Amino acid sequence: MKKTSPAYILGFMITICAVFGTGIASVHYATLDMLIKNEKLHKNRTICRVFNLSVAGASADAFQKAIEDNITYEQITYQGRTWDVYKRKDTGNIGFIFSGTGFWDRISGIIVLSADLSKVVNIQFLDHKETPGLGARIEEAWFTDQFKGVLIAWEQPVDKRIIVGPAPIPSAKNRVDAITGATQTSIALMRFLNSELETFRKAIKEWKEKTMLEMPSPWE
Amino acid sequence: MAYTPKQVFLNGIWLENPIYRQVLGICSTLAVTNLLANTLFMCFGLIFTTALSNFTISVLREYIPKRIRMIVQVLIIACYVMIVDIIIKALVPDIHRFIGPYVGLIITNCIIMGRAEAFASQNRPLLSLFDGVASGVGYSLVLIFIASVREPLGFGTILGMTLPARDLWWHSWIIMVMPPGAFFMLGMFTWFARRWLVKEVKR
Repeated sequence: MKKTSPAYILGFMITICAVFGTGIASVHYATLDMLIKNEKLHKNRTICRVFNLSVAGASADAFQKAIEDNITYEQITYQGRTWDVYKRKDTGNIGFIFSGTGFWDRISGIIVLSADLSKVVNIQFLDHKETPGLGARIEEAWFTDQFKGVLIAWEQPVDKRIIVGPAPIPSAKNRVDAITGATQTSIALMRFLNSELETFRKAIKEWKEKTMLEMPSPWE
Repeated sequence: MAYTPKQVFLNGIWLENPIYRQVLGICSTLAVTNLLANTLFMCFGLIFTTALSNFTISVLREYIPKRIRMIVQVLIIACYVMIVDIIIKALVPDIHRFIGPYVGLIITNCIIMGRAEAFASQNRPLLSLFDGVASGVGYSLVLIFIASVREPLGFGTILGMTLPARDLWWHSWIIMVMPPGAFFMLGMFTWFARRWLVKEVKR
């Protein structure tokens, strides 16, 4: 068969796609267990960091134990969405996994609020695909540290409870600095973080009312 | 023109170094060189991909239809990059979280496509494999050099280990970990290399 004929080209492409596709799939399946373990470890480490838990060692078991000893976990379903909610046993600080669309792709993280939901205790990011060196700086300590102690202005409109970037009053207690060169990421973060806070507040309110009616909650 | 392994090796590492002679693969050079550990994994990814894609393309060179050769080359390169990506993600997830986006970009690293098209599609498989390794090593040497200057100057560490009594004698240069630091370093290195390391060919 001539190498220039459409049939040869088609056959060649199908064969090469099948061979290399199988190769990638095999490597993927061979490492699947490791990937799942890594993912869990990453999540546990983020939970320990965001709740500021002391961990004895750096092994996966140490992180798991720190979480089991200090954190209670609950899944709350509100309007068809299930929220992963964590509560620190001693302080009552409450954290949940938030997510939303950043500049490029989905950003997810854990935010911890004080027990009365009045202020942010800490925030850490689990996953994002923002531009390295620009939007990806959301996970750097200088940025996340700003959120510690930020008041949530519940009396403000939904999109202005936490402000990332410029505000009419620069010293406002509900404001953090945006990232230079990553304005879109900062705006997106502010948008979905505020919307997540609003929905979470409704979800936790409904859940508390429901559990109080049914039985005494271990969280109360 | 037939090449000897020695020529191929010298060309890739020295005389036709991808960074300071061919000026290819600059994006990742600027991006990952603020930490030596990230640089090493990037170099591993690139050597692995350049070597194996060169080898595969060379093995298939008689069968690849000329009209679609670029598509086939990209497909083969992309497969190896995905394999590297999965391996790094499984073995060193923390480093993957930082260099992950750049690993994907190895697909478009001009060194690989350049070597595939300029060398592997016209030479024997083993020689092409050797050329891939040599180009990858040439790239890596420059990156490692730049990273081993940027990390100590910028963070006061080397491979994540703090330099002894750093606070007493060194104040970190933040600019060295930022993109401009990479431009300065790369510019100075290229100037140095072209002035002293390699003789310009006079026409």
